[in-house]
Amino acid sequence: MDYGRRVLADRLAAEYVLGTLRGPARRRFEALLAAHPVLRDAVAQWQQRLQPLAAGIEPVEPPPRAWQRIESSLFPSAPEPASEPWWRRLGVWRVFSGLATAAVVALLVVGQQTQPPQAPIVVVLGANPEVAQQVQARFVASLSADGRALVLRPIDAPPLTAQQALELWAVPPTGAPRSLGLVKADAATTLLHTQLLKDTAAFAVSVEPAGGSPTGAPTGPIVSLGKLQI
Amino acid sequence: MASRHSTAEPADLATLLARVGLGDRAAFGTLYRATSAHLFGVVLRINPDRGQAEDVLQEIYVNVWRSAGGFDAARAQPMTWLTSIARNGAIDSLRRAKARVRTVSTHLVSEEEGDEADLAEQVPSDEAGPLELLQRAAERRDVAHCVGQLSAEQQQCVALAYYQGLSHSEVADHLAQPLGTVKSWLRRALLALKDCLARAAAQAGGR
Repeated sequence: MDYGRRVLADRLAAEYVLGTLRGPARRRFEALLAAHPVLRDAVAQWQQRLQPLAAGIEPVEPPPRAWQRIESSLFPSAPEPASEPWWRRLGVWRVFSGLATAAVVALLVVGQQTQPPQAPIVVVLGANPEVAQQVQARFVASLSADGRALVLRPIDAPPLTAQQALELWAVPPTGAPRSLGLVKADAATTLLHTQLLKDTAAFAVSVEPAGGSPTGAPTGPIVSLGKLQI
Repeated sequence: MASRHSTAEPADLATLLARVGLGDRAAFGTLYRATSAHLFGVVLRINPDRGQAEDVLQEIYVNVWRSAGGFDAARAQPMTWLTSIARNGAIDSLRRAKARVRTVSTHLVSEEEGDEADLAEQVPSDEAGPLELLQRAAERRDVAHCVGQLSAEQQQCVALAYYQGLSHSEVADHLAQPLGTVKSWLRRALLALKDCLARAAAQAGGR
């Protein structure tokens, strides 16, 4: 980006954050943000610069109904005993997961009985739409039909610092994701495992501290995910 | 919703956001209790219509629930991230409110020009005007010097745009100045703030 465009980008970012960039220009700028890290950085810096101005604003207690409305719009059913975790919110495969599980079971049974040569299973892990504005990460996972080997290839790997690593997860239809271990951002990773397909509805990649998630559950943003379709 | 007010430390808020990103509803409730009064205050400044402001608040927290997984504590302070979502939501709500007849609070203009009826409707009389808010913000050491360096006109423009969400042309109408003049005041004010804050940060870092 040459100097003139950089100055323009910074000016638009400042006006966007201040709020004076309006109407179609604001919409156009937001559309550009998704694709331009330089603009996103400029916006983040302006947000940080102007944040102290918000300090003097008196807090105003919202009425209790505000929280009730938020809850009922996000969690329309009866309140669940436990919190609803992200892997169920993803929802895209909720409808399919039962089917997929059934198909996997059928496949395993058939596989054990007749042992025909099976084509590998390919799962495309697309960018997680919830973080696609910040990170566009895509992977392709190729699994052997017996579910014992997986090769994960990065298509668009997210930028990582030295303190970060990528971790691959098998997401079951219900319950917590299982870690399949750390994977490389810049090259294919081969994983050998006894039961990669059992109880797996999807695969997901998260950004974790170097060394992997300290808790055994994903702690960083889920950057990429793909549903298992058999 | 018992204990209130955003006294939570940034580190606590970052932890809460990380848990919200994983779908932790208890953490979401705690985050709401710690931050909603502040964000509602921010929204009401920009869109004083209480009904619309409540709609905006709902959108903000739905948005927070859905995008907390993308919050990166290494890149942004939690309160900065939340305030930005709130201000964006409030500014967008102004665009939607087509039938809006919105005269601006007039603490900045000379008293005789003030339209008391409109003023009373929108801003309770004991509430600070935008310029007062800016001066209050400037009590913080890190920005005081930089806000103080702006001209009176620049301070008015920044305060009206930031606190009330006015567009360039609305600021111009409000101050009865040509649009081009207001645009250039604002542009220079933002550049001056940026340079001054960068110098202050460099000095603080050099110490």
